[in-house]
Parts: sequence; structure tokens; C-alpha cells
Amino acid sequence: MTVKTVVEQAGAVDEFRAEVRQWLAENVPAEPLRPWTTRVGFDQHRQWERTLFEGGYAAVDWPVEYGGRGAGLRHTIAFAEEYYRARAPERVNMGGLYLLGPVLMQYGTAEQRRRWIPDLLSCRTIWCQGFSEPGSGSDLASLRTRAVRDGDHFLVNGQKIWTSMGGSADWIFALVRTDPEAAKRRKHAGITFLCIDLRTPGVEVRPLTMVDGTKGFAEVFFTDVRVPVENVVGDLDQGWKVAMSTLGFERGAVFGDHAKFSNDIAALAGLVRHRGLAQDSLALDELGRVLVETEVYRANVYRLAALAESGGDLDRTASINKLYWTEMQHDIFATGLRLMAEDGAIVADPSAVAGVDPVTADAWRDWHHRYWYARAAMIFGGTSEIQRNIISERVLGLPLEPRPS
Amino acid sequence: MTDTLDLDRRQLDEVTTALLERHCGLDHLRGRLDAGAAHDAPLWARLAETGLVSALVPGEFGGADLTPRHLPGVLHATGYHALPEPYLETSVLAATVLTAFADVPGVARRLASLAEGSLLVAVRISDLDPYVAFAAEADVLLDVAGDGTVTLHRSEEVEVESLEAVDPLRPVARVRTRGPGTVLGVAPELAARVRTLAVAGAACQLAGAARRLLDLTVEYVSVRQQFGRPVGSFQAVKHKIADVAVGVDMAEAAALSALDAIDNPDAAHRAAAAKAYAGQAADRANVEALQLHGGIGFTWEYHLHFWLKRVMSLTAAYGTTTAHRRSLATDLLARVPDGGPER
Repeated sequence: MTVKTVVEQAGAVDEFRAEVRQWLAENVPAEPLRPWTTRVGFDQHRQWERTLFEGGYAAVDWPVEYGGRGAGLRHTIAFAEEYYRARAPERVNMGGLYLLGPVLMQYGTAEQRRRWIPDLLSCRTIWCQGFSEPGSGSDLASLRTRAVRDGDHFLVNGQKIWTSMGGSADWIFALVRTDPEAAKRRKHAGITFLCIDLRTPGVEVRPLTMVDGTKGFAEVFFTDVRVPVENVVGDLDQGWKVAMSTLGFERGAVFGDHAKFSNDIAALAGLVRHRGLAQDSLALDELGRVLVETEVYRANVYRLAALAESGGDLDRTASINKLYWTEMQHDIFATGLRLMAEDGAIVADPSAVAGVDPVTADAWRDWHHRYWYARAAMIFGGTSEIQRNIISERVLGLPLEPRPS
Repeated sequence: MTDTLDLDRRQLDEVTTALLERHCGLDHLRGRLDAGAAHDAPLWARLAETGLVSALVPGEFGGADLTPRHLPGVLHATGYHALPEPYLETSVLAATVLTAFADVPGVARRLASLAEGSLLVAVRISDLDPYVAFAAEADVLLDVAGDGTVTLHRSEEVEVESLEAVDPLRPVARVRTRGPGTVLGVAPELAARVRTLAVAGAACQLAGAARRLLDLTVEYVSVRQQFGRPVGSFQAVKHKIADVAVGVDMAEAAALSALDAIDNPDAAHRAAAAKAYAGQAADRANVEALQLHGGIGFTWEYHLHFWLKRVMSLTAAYGTTTAHRRSLATDLLARVPDGGPER
């Protein structure tokens, strides 16, 4: 492994940017990787994560003691901008890196951090999030997966569903009900945040085929699964608080991801030219609208960074941010499909179809895949409707909806 | 961002808000509407006394010697309070132009008059907006042409045709010149800067006006009772307001940062994006604000219409949403190679 330095000591943002740019130029695979939803593609992505880790770039914003570079927000944004500029591969351990990692730093014991963080960072262990259940989507706190204490273990029974990366993951961080009595008083009470090794006997993972035919998520069944008590993160029965902090991470700004959307807009512009629409006033208006939306998002990322640097509260901004970027992302990909006109109906092998250039076939397929992901993003991490509830009641202070007692 | 700049801004924002709350409240707006005249000399004099009118004028001409980067919050406040004065036009655009040509005979004197509040200046940027705000009220018209030629016309040198404006408190006119006027110079860079200031400045005003529509709506639905509960407790109402809030919040992020980036190479690009988005967000705020106020919002007597009309006027001004989108898209297309979506 190369020697890692603390970024703030390593110099100004521009120097760090140059260092990152050079490293990416030397290391990003020349050929795009196969989609991670395929077996071959998944191994390729995991190998890439290993390369990133060895280069010291797996999580530049994490503290050095956990294997990060201690990068401040400006450096983190610069890293992401360079990462997307280099068209580097999609990250595959998002649940671990963006959700569990920060949770462990905030709530985990020293032993848990030592045990899970290094493998998470090097992508030796892939993590998935076990929150949703068949009967508990938006109403997450109604979850029914039970964990009953049995000596120094819990016995877990229940089911999780729509688990992103579930088919590829090694571990799951799950919400389980440990005190059913407490739920009678307040349904958010008595829930515990528990990490479970998916190789434990009694765990069954059934990959689910997604709407676009790829195997991106899974359902996970637990039948008398024995989980050591030391796998509880945070306090027993206090898992809701821990879970809400991961949702905060999920909804809040991923600093620098505006650069990803700028790539998408460039791709959309290429599409407009390719279809001979560069003078078409309607196409220009559509392209202009989504371009404007991404520019606004970039401005917001920098505003939030400034707010965070001055010690401001980002919690209030998380729902606005999530609602905005997921709608923007949908607008980008739906606009692309509209501009493809009749060819928007073609996914597989568009080269066989008159009017579609064979060189763009893979890109076409990828565009459709991203479109469906955009649809998913308006549902996961709290649906758009839940975000609107939060914005109206907690940010704007509108009168509460009468709730059934 | 320097800390001093930040501090200065906060101070300016406070001063502006305090002044407008006190002297540009609903009574003032109704008074100007009844009088059939937007501009009010006493209010402008107050703005001048606090130094807001002369914000961008150099100290040697009696100004406060600030930069446009000090003004995002001030411009936002002028929209929030629906100020019926040519603040953007005179204090931002004209002050910038006259400062650049201060060496031209007669300009320094006018700059000093502008700074003390005794000279109103309208600005025509024909390739951006065919109409001129506050032209009938202005003592002087500055014409900033697309090729960078800047011409000064005294009011007797122009024929002003006042138009029936959607927002009577932001009057607009068509202006025909009667003579050549006084050419101050040819300065394409200055012209581009003035154009960008107009676009970014209007975006800030628009974001402010849209914020007011949001606040008024939140306030109203929180107290208006139907079916035995505040209408704001219904989810159908809440969700519309949440969408408005996202738009307003993002419009502020884009507009305030576009003016802050006025000295950057991509300033024009950012200003155009900010104006286009603010227009889009303000449209939504306009539609939902009136819808959620119901009948009361439709009355002349109630005050909602000041802001409904202000956002309509500003959305159409200094480049429409569609115009900015198309020009941004055209610029982008010139930069990308042909060839379909890339991976």
C-alpha cells in the first residue's frame, strides 16, 4: 500500500486535484467495466475498489485512523469531480462506504470499527442495508423482523426485501425488533441496529430480478439465525436513532456527485447532436432545462459545503436535497428517452434497428439502465412523498397531519 | 469567500431588510398602486441615505465603493419586499456603466448625482430585453448595445412609450431614441458584464419574490381553517408547498452564487442558469400560491397579487427562461462532439 498523507497537510485543493487526476489517468481501466450486475462485471468492480483502496482513494473524506485521507469538503468535492471527469467505474460498496462507515464512526465500538471498517474500505466485505420489509416501506418503524435474546446471541426471524446489492453482499446491517412491548407505546421504540453475516446458517438470499431484467436487489429471509450480541451497533433498543442517521447520510449531499450529472448532460448533448436536433427549438429547450437543473445542483453542493464548513446544520437540507436530485436525475434520463423518439422503445440490440448507430448500442442500453435507477432513487431512502412530508412539516412548520393514534 | 465580505453582506442584508420592512410594507405598495406611480422620491432618498443606492459607486464620487458580490442579499430583499424602484437598473447596472466611463466629460457629475439619489438611470440592453424598466421615471437612459457600444441619452433625447405592465410597480416602456445621444465608448467586456449583472441580479430578485410567495402561502394555509382543521394540514396542500419550497431554495442557491461568481470566467453561464431556474421555480410558486390561497388571493384588496405580478414581470425580463435554456444548450452543443451518449 502506498503511504497515505493527510490531505489537509498535503496542500491546496489544486495540488490535490492534480495528484488525483494523475493517479486516475494511470489507473482507471481503459475499457469500461462490464455492468456490476453481471458476475464478471462484479468481480471487475471489486478489483477496481481494491485498486482505489491501495492508492489511498477509497474514502478520501474519512479520518486517517480509519483509512481515509482526512480530506476536507473542498478536497472531497475536487476528488469526486476528478473521479467523474476520468469516467472512473461506478462504486459498488455504497451501502458500506456511505451508510455503514459513518454510522460505525459515530456509534460503533472500537472493536466494531477495527473489525469491519478496514474490510469495508478495501471492499473485501460488501455490505447491504436491511431496512425495508414486505409490510414496512415508507412506514419503516412498523417492521416486524424479530431478534430474541438467547444468552450471548440473538435469534433472528423475519424477512427483508428490495435489498440493494443483496445478491452480492457478504454482510447486512439490519433493523430488527428487540422489544415488541415497547412498540405498543411508541412504534419507533424497541428497534435495534444489528449487523449480520449473510453466511450464517438460516439466512437465505433470493435475488430479485428488477424491472429492467437485471439482478440488482434481493429479498433476505432469516430463520432462527444466531447473531452474536456484540454485533449490535449503538444501544440495544435504540436502533431508530442510528437508522435515522444513516438515512441522513443517504439523503444528504454526496459532495461532488454533481460532476456525475454533468457527464450525463454531456452525453445528452451528444445524443441531441447525433439525432440531428441541434437546431431544434424544442430539443434545445429540453436540453437547456436539464442542463440548468444540474448547474443549480452544483451551486447547491457548494452552498452546502460552505454551510457545513461554517458549522451549519445540514439536517434541514437533507430532504430538499434528496427530492431535488432524484427528480433532476429522472428528468435527465426521461428527457433522453423522449429525445430518442421512436428509438426510445428499443433497448436490446438497437443496432438491428434502422436509424440506430451500432457504436452507441451499449450506451443506449446503459441509458435505459440509468433511467430505471433514476426511478428507483425516487423510492429508496425515503420516497419523494415522505420527503415532501418532512419538508412541509419539519422544515416549513406546516400543521401536522392528524395521525391515527 | 472572505470573512469580511461575509460580514459586510450580513450587515447590508440587515440594513436593507430593516429599511424595507419599515418603509416598503403593504401600505407603501398599495399607496403607489393607487397613485399610479411606482417610484417614490422619499423612499429612494431613504435608500440613498443608507448608502444602498450608491453601493457600487467609487468613494471619490460619493459612493460606498462596494462590489456586486456584496449585493446578492440586497437584491433578494428588493424582490422579497416587491420594492417598486429601479434598484437593479440604477444602482447596479447604471452605476457599473458610469463608473467605467467616469473619465468621459459629464459622467463623473452624473455618477455623483446617482450616488446622492438625485438621478434615476434606466438601462436598455436590447439584445436581452426589448423593454426598458423604469424608463419613464428615469432622468437618463443608458443604451448598452450587443457590440459593446454604450450610449447615454438624456430624457429629452428619447421618446418613451409607457406600456401597460403586468406589474404596475415594475413599469416597463418601449424607448425610441430621437438622436444619436452621447456615445460613451465601445467596451464589449463591460457590456458583457452589465448583461451578466442584469441576468444574475434579476435572478436574485426573482428568488426573493418567490420566497415571499412561499412565506405568504405557508402563513395563510397555517391559519385558514376548513373541515375543522388548518388547510395546511392536508397532505395534498403540503406536497404542493414542499415542491415550491424546493424550487425556491434551489433558486436562491443558484442566484446568490451566480452574483457571487460575477468575476469568474463562467459568470455569464452561471447567471443564465440561475435566471432560467429562478423563472421556473417562480412560475411554480406563482401557480401554487394563488391556488392555495383560494378566493382571497384573487382579490385586489388582498396583497398576494403584488408578488404574483412581480414574479411574472421578472420572469419575462432580462432573458426568459426559454431563451436562457436555449442559449445554454447551444453553447453546450458547440462544445461536445457528435456521437450519441457516451458511457
